[in-house]
Amino acid sequence: MKDAILDALAHSRAGYGELRMRRVWSSRVLIRNREVAAAGSAHETAGHARCCSPGTGWGSVGFSGTDRLGSRLLTAHELSLAGGSRVPITLAPVPIRQLELTDALPDDPRDVPLAAKRRRAEQLAEALFATDRRIASGRVLCCDEVVETWLGTTEGTWIHELRSSVSIAVLAIAEESGSVERALGSLAEPGGWRTGDRTELAQNVALGAVEQLHAKPVRPGRYSVVLDPAAAGALVHRAVTHLARPALPGADPDVLPIGTRIGPDCLTAGDDPAAESLLASGACDDEGTATRRSIVIQNGMVLGHLHSRETAGASGLAPTGHARAGTLRGSPFPRASNSYLAPGQGKLDDLLAGVANGVYCSDVLCCEESGDQVALRAARARMIRDGRLAEPVKGVELGGDLLALLGRVDVVGGDFAWDKSAARCRDGTAGLVRVSTGAPHLRLVDVPVGAGVA
Amino acid sequence: MIARLLDRLSARVHGADTVAKIDDVLTLAISPDGDTRVSGSRSRTTYLRVIRDGKIGCASSTGDDAEELIARSLAAADAGPELELLLPAPAPLPAVESHAPQAAGADATALDRLARALLERLQQSGRRVEVWAERSSGSVQVANTRGVHAGYQATLAGVGAVVESIGAGWAPPCRVHAAGAALPTLGDVELLAAEVERRLAPPIMESYRPLEQPLICLAPRAAATFLRPLRAALAGYEAWLGRSPLRDRLGERVADERLSVADDPLAPARPASRPVDDDGVVSRQLPLIERGRLLGFLADLELGARAGVPSTGHGWRTPNATSRVGCTNLRIAPGIEGPATLRTMLGRGLLIEDLEWRGGPNPLAGTLTLSAPWTYLVEGGVVRGRLEGVTLSGNVFRSLVQLAAIGNDVTWCGAICTPSLLVEGLTVTCHP
Repeated sequence: MKDAILDALAHSRAGYGELRMRRVWSSRVLIRNREVAAAGSAHETAGHARCCSPGTGWGSVGFSGTDRLGSRLLTAHELSLAGGSRVPITLAPVPIRQLELTDALPDDPRDVPLAAKRRRAEQLAEALFATDRRIASGRVLCCDEVVETWLGTTEGTWIHELRSSVSIAVLAIAEESGSVERALGSLAEPGGWRTGDRTELAQNVALGAVEQLHAKPVRPGRYSVVLDPAAAGALVHRAVTHLARPALPGADPDVLPIGTRIGPDCLTAGDDPAAESLLASGACDDEGTATRRSIVIQNGMVLGHLHSRETAGASGLAPTGHARAGTLRGSPFPRASNSYLAPGQGKLDDLLAGVANGVYCSDVLCCEESGDQVALRAARARMIRDGRLAEPVKGVELGGDLLALLGRVDVVGGDFAWDKSAARCRDGTAGLVRVSTGAPHLRLVDVPVGAGVA
Repeated sequence: MIARLLDRLSARVHGADTVAKIDDVLTLAISPDGDTRVSGSRSRTTYLRVIRDGKIGCASSTGDDAEELIARSLAAADAGPELELLLPAPAPLPAVESHAPQAAGADATALDRLARALLERLQQSGRRVEVWAERSSGSVQVANTRGVHAGYQATLAGVGAVVESIGAGWAPPCRVHAAGAALPTLGDVELLAAEVERRLAPPIMESYRPLEQPLICLAPRAAATFLRPLRAALAGYEAWLGRSPLRDRLGERVADERLSVADDPLAPARPASRPVDDDGVVSRQLPLIERGRLLGFLADLELGARAGVPSTGHGWRTPNATSRVGCTNLRIAPGIEGPATLRTMLGRGLLIEDLEWRGGPNPLAGTLTLSAPWTYLVEGGVVRGRLEGVTLSGNVFRSLVQLAAIGNDVTWCGAICTPSLLVEGLTVTCHP
């Protein structure tokens, strides 16, 4: 593969040419209730060639297979000329690197037979149903993936990387006396199946669904709200992703200028694609730029943006290593990876103290944005009464204007944790990328809570 | 490759079917600052499903190595579900218009012309406009060990825009698009431009008397989003064996008697038109709700085997090799009221041009909370202005039972053809 890629790049006549190939081995087993519903594997090899020249915009081509790489680059070059762009591309310079990160995987999911993966999924389903008699139905989806990436550019960058990951998603539906509630949970991590006991995930999801059976709808109103690290991370991801990345195709172009105050001094957030042991982490991005932690908001002020080489070049800044391709055959765009909220001080009890009547959101069902509006829907929630966690409530949704919400941040806890849910981010038409979030507990004051407040 | 696969498998399994899909996509996008990006993408995937010892195994590949694909599908069968799957026999295919040569042959210049035609009509000061045009051209081949060997060509072409108002008169991003098997015409471009102007023109209402459960007119684009839970409730496992609110209600009245819904893979030149599904089952029009009465659900071969019902020809292969059940082109039959009559019927009510899908507390059960950034106050048949921060909540299935009216303005929104719907019983909250 290396020779074919380098040969194709050597013959390219474009000012800049880039060729990325990916080979993905994946398998999945779906258990519906206690029975296997599907088992399968996929093997996909696909690539992406991209070119630009002085005075032209991008031309890019995605393809299946590994043949005719030279003609793929030529087509990309022709498309860059055909576009007739009036906006030439300026790529910010990066150090040229050659990396071979292809050590044998110590826990390769490809070495585990599909039948063994099925047994593992069935065991998780058993754990789900054994947790409580009120679990009426459920689903367990076990997936794994090995991805081999080759990236070369006409500037001399060469990256070859091999990675593996596993993910589990669990759905539980609890039923009692005509009341039906559901809960979802997931886990995604680098590595394979030999390490880690994931039964706790299934049990927690089951307990979450059962807890909701007796939860009463939250009374709409304005509350002090404490978010657990997963919910706080989801909110921060929205802030980092949608306020700090330059415009994407099909996405809302609402990037905040550097120096804008968007929250209190205790709010410091960023994105760290170099964080260890997370699925969205890596040594370099999809343009070959070394990844590094980027602070986006410092003490409540916008300090920087996430950049690809193109957006950094347009701004006269250095790229931050955030160029990520949302599909095997797609172009890289600046996207968030591991968004984090920097820890402050104190633990959950400290944040609950002093809240006479509030809402505690643990875990998040979804966090969506539209324009400058954000809606965060809690998967599980409890009332806070006199500084203590009280009865479970459901239908908790908080939101509104994202900046207004960030402005209501009161205290940031010190108990930082990365959330390893199998989260993906869709942004505009740039495709889906895996993301992680990390945060401590977070308290906001005077937040509208209810159903449909956002 | 698919003939080779079945030849090699015939003596080793009880049955097998295979699908080969090729897709060639060309996309041109013009960003608000004038940057033009042209990208092409060609994908080729082969899906194989085997039946061995009563178990099903699926695998897919983008490569040409037949033996490797066979080995993985056999391994998947060892771990796969036990199912009595009866593969279809060969049958004549219906004639369906799924391919337009003009769309298949569209190059970057043709897409650029189309995108710029839309850009010119939308561009004005105080706006950021992003436009795109795309065409996809491909083929699908389906075969099985019972002798089915069918295939068809398909194209899909579209043009669309995201228009953002900046400065005074701010509005959320306005997204419009038109798509079909044929390349959109200048007439389609004019319709899109007219829709954008219609949505952006009314002034923002600074103050108004709140409406808690008003009569609401969902324009076709909003209706298509609103009906997503209905689509889910009519399809697949949830409908036949799961938690669809329509399960076990075949033959019952589930909606207003003026509502008729059908799935139509034979609709000419629509995004999901096809003569045969990915299981090799011949496509046919399928009435789902007729005058408010529930007549049918969608099934593929695997679900049919589980539920003990025949496949309705709605199987799709997914990227991860397994199959799923899904609609093709969903058609809601038109009513008799014109758009002006619907607005008059609103009295003091709301017109919603588009909705943003957010799922909701329980979308399968039809319980939704949807953001409605394109909501207009209508009084006496006249649009007074746009309301900001509107959220719609309620239950889709309850709303369909108490429809106030159905418009005659059927419009294709992607693969859904729907008229305007006049609904009541939904709760509106407004936080401008």
